Amino acid sequence: MPDDSERTEIHEYLLLNRVFEETVLEVYEDEGIPELPHLSMGQEAVGVGATYALEDDDWLAPSLRTRAVMLMRLSIRDVVTGMYGTASSPTEGRVTEHHLGTSENHILGTTGLVGSHLNVAAGAALSARQLDEDRVTAVFFGDGGATRGEFHTAINYAAVEDLPVVFIIENNQWIEETPASEVIAVEEDISEMAGHDLPKEVIDGQDVDEVIETVSAAADRARRGGGPTLIEAKTYRYRPHAEVIPERRDEAEIEEWKERDPVEVHRERLLDAGVADEEWIEETRAELIEEIEAAFEFAKDDPMPEADVMDKVYKDMDVDEDGGVVR
Amino acid sequence: MTEQTVRESINEALAEELERDERVFLYGEDVGDYGGLYQVTAGLQERFGEDRVFDTPLSETTLGGTAVGAALTGTRPIMEIMFGDFLSVIADHLINYAAKMHFNYTDDTSVPMVVRTTYGGGDQFGLHHSQDPIPWFQNVPGLKMVAPSTPSDYKGLLKSAVRDDDPVIFFENKQRYEVTGDVPDEEYTVPLGEADVKRSGEDMTVVAVGGMVDVALEAAESLADRGYDCEVIDPRTVVPLDKETILDSVKKTHALTVVHESATFGGIGGEIAATAADEALFYLDAPVKRVGAPFTPVPFAENLEQEYLPDEEDVETAVVEALEV
Repeated sequence: MPDDSERTEIHEYLLLNRVFEETVLEVYEDEGIPELPHLSMGQEAVGVGATYALEDDDWLAPSLRTRAVMLMRLSIRDVVTGMYGTASSPTEGRVTEHHLGTSENHILGTTGLVGSHLNVAAGAALSARQLDEDRVTAVFFGDGGATRGEFHTAINYAAVEDLPVVFIIENNQWIEETPASEVIAVEEDISEMAGHDLPKEVIDGQDVDEVIETVSAAADRARRGGGPTLIEAKTYRYRPHAEVIPERRDEAEIEEWKERDPVEVHRERLLDAGVADEEWIEETRAELIEEIEAAFEFAKDDPMPEADVMDKVYKDMDVDEDGGVVR
Repeated sequence: MTEQTVRESINEALAEELERDERVFLYGEDVGDYGGLYQVTAGLQERFGEDRVFDTPLSETTLGGTAVGAALTGTRPIMEIMFGDFLSVIADHLINYAAKMHFNYTDDTSVPMVVRTTYGGGDQFGLHHSQDPIPWFQNVPGLKMVAPSTPSDYKGLLKSAVRDDDPVIFFENKQRYEVTGDVPDEEYTVPLGEADVKRSGEDMTVVAVGGMVDVALEAAESLADRGYDCEVIDPRTVVPLDKETILDSVKKTHALTVVHESATFGGIGGEIAATAADEALFYLDAPVKRVGAPFTPVPFAENLEQEYLPDEEDVETAVVEALEV
């Protein structure tokens, strides 16, 4: 169980994610943002809990909806400028912040193809074994990603080789605008699709404490050579797959999930335990809003990148824009 | 110098790089105890242990993905994809991942992995075990593709590929494993991105890729008897391309023929021809000729496969046609 200061820190991360995305949505609806928002509102506890549970040198491979990884490992300004693709953004506008990689912050680069990062994460774990390093890799993916061959092949290899990976399904029940139950042939838990011999945990993704406890245990086991774990966190997103896509889900279903809002669940627990009071929560929220708004102001004024930043295709060869070697 | 087969020179390159750098490891289907379908990795597991040389599931998806992840996080994987045709399975990891991560990272991180694979027809292995997949990937910025011809180039280029910080697909021609040639005894590498003039000549530049270098050289000998003096250039690294060596030669010979095993349409030969048209058009005294396979799958029947594959006669015909205009 985290101590009191850790519990307030965890709550701050939940608030950061929530307030950040509320601001993103507001700005996007008002004036647009170059990066199309794929919001994680409603399922923040999974990313926050898992990122919190792991060490700084553990690698994280986020899904398209694990905003928490970016917000907890990069600065707010980096995430916002990344969404605008400006000169000061982490990749100088080459890519959005959505899938970027950084070795300094141990975020494994991903792609815009849902689920293609599962074996890549297993590979990051394979390198830990090859180099005899005591680190773990956590990979996040949705119920949609679990329908790809990557899921079967990565889990099979990680399990047979006892690789230090934690596979985390953010099961938000919907694959873009299709209910997972319509396209996945298991009754209840989609982790059941993996018949492989590895520990499986099905948890409440709205409860950040349960996420932290489960991911910590899985990471400890992986570090001790006990191999991978498959964690399925049941959760829900409040917004459509991406902001441009019209909502087709029942308002009643969304409202029902909001009754178990992950930020609220944790907030009530803190208040009940007397670890934090309303005043602290409101102050924290106000400070975060101020910081996030400042980052947006900065990004909007930041110059756009120069064309030469695109010249980062090969590390080890000077190549001209026609594909020819430059001597 | 020692005479070696291509197979031996690759095996030696792998052994030397495994010996030199602890971060290097070698994996793939059957590469461990068995030594690989073509026995290229024979003896390496015994010498370096199961931690450095090991078998994987049949899944190319596992290989492609884990190699990228391992390369991004501090190791230098060499994987074997048994047949180049199967690169299609890991196209996502090559095209969307390996090729793009240097661009996609905030820092200097890259993907130092090598995909060793076989290619080419001539064994009646049929349409899914005989292709030359180079053109599938030539339009992907971020990948490097190497297709050597001689044993010494195979060794020196493979060693460079392992040391290179970018993802490299290393193409091994199935028909050339038994080809012999002199290989230096001392430590050496052959740099990526440098073409090699395999034969000097004055009348025609023949750029030939991989297994077609020997075909072009043999054709050049016959053509010499008929009074046509061909210069044969082996690009060695197909992408990115050493255009300078090719253009310098074209400016000297005033003629260009390109030869590769994949279909003529959409092949690297078209790019080389276009480069000459763009940058050396007024040096050309003859039409540019492309020699490649017809635009069909690789056929199975022996006579059909032989018809399909470019050979010495095809090269000779093209050169004579161009120079006799």
